[in-house]
Amino acid sequence: MLRQLLNPMSVTAVKTGSNDFALEFVRWRRKPRWLPVAKSKVFRVPERKKQTEEERIELMRLHNQYKTQLRSVRQYLREEVIRHQETSTADHIVLTPEQEEAEFQRCLEVNAEWNAKIAGEREVRLAKERDEKVAYVQERLEAGKLREEERRERADERIRFEIEQSKTFVTRANLDEAIEAALANPVDHNFAIDLAGNLYRGRGTQSLNN
Amino acid sequence: MSLSPASGIGRFYKHSAKIIRFVRLGCTNRPFYHIVVMERRKNQHQPVIEQVGSYDPMPNENNERLVALNTERIRFWLGKGAHMSEPAAELLGISGLLPVHPRTYMTAWRNRKAAAEAAALAEAEGSQKAAETA
Repeated sequence: MLRQLLNPMSVTAVKTGSNDFALEFVRWRRKPRWLPVAKSKVFRVPERKKQTEEERIELMRLHNQYKTQLRSVRQYLREEVIRHQETSTADHIVLTPEQEEAEFQRCLEVNAEWNAKIAGEREVRLAKERDEKVAYVQERLEAGKLREEERRERADERIRFEIEQSKTFVTRANLDEAIEAALANPVDHNFAIDLAGNLYRGRGTQSLNN
Repeated sequence: MSLSPASGIGRFYKHSAKIIRFVRLGCTNRPFYHIVVMERRKNQHQPVIEQVGSYDPMPNENNERLVALNTERIRFWLGKGAHMSEPAAELLGISGLLPVHPRTYMTAWRNRKAAAEAAALAEAEGSQKAAETA
């Protein structure tokens, strides 16, 4: 059974349903491999392309000629590739030691020149940055000084105000006098208001207004 | 399936068989071909080693079918021993780089023969009609 399955002829015959009489190609694009040949196509014999004898002979002659010509062209191209590989310097550089040294010196000169140019530019830039920094620090210092002065001014003002106020403070010395003065002049904060919005301060005692 | 770039990222063994052949791009009913070098055993839509030309088989408004070939690289690869597919060999033969392929001659004489037969048929029909009307 296995042998029979592995036999390629029988396998194709089973899968495509073809016979050896008409060669049947696997049409896996259009229908699954396991479907048999359509009933209408079972006995169809594909027509062979006809080739006349003179055409065959002519083609053979042309093919022989073509193969000969192509062989010589190929040989020429092969030699060309080898020649090109030998003479080409595309993938490597050929220089004498003197040339290499000169090239190196030239590179050094170019590099030094460039470095000098960059150094000049850097000097200018750094000097400018330094000046800017100095100016900035100076400005901040002055602003700080001004701020300090203002603060001192405000503090002095406050001190003067407190000293002024301290003349009327109630101390242990004049405590009795202050109590007597308060008792002598009672102050009433009550008031009444009428519909017109007039205020009537006091309730019978001395009010704040009078 | 994503397209592999034409710039040539295909990997290949040094001594494997290379081939110059077409890769069919374009879409349904609109073929367009890249002429590429790739390993012979590979599927046409695998990454290529190098693209050496393009071929537009549909005639444009001036009835031209445009082909571009990088002959320098084609010479290089042929010198390296690359094979050619038959259509590619035909195209290179017509372009003048290689000898003309026999299949080109065959197609030409078959076309000539078909044209001659069609002309004879038309002539015969014309004479028959003339005889009927007379």
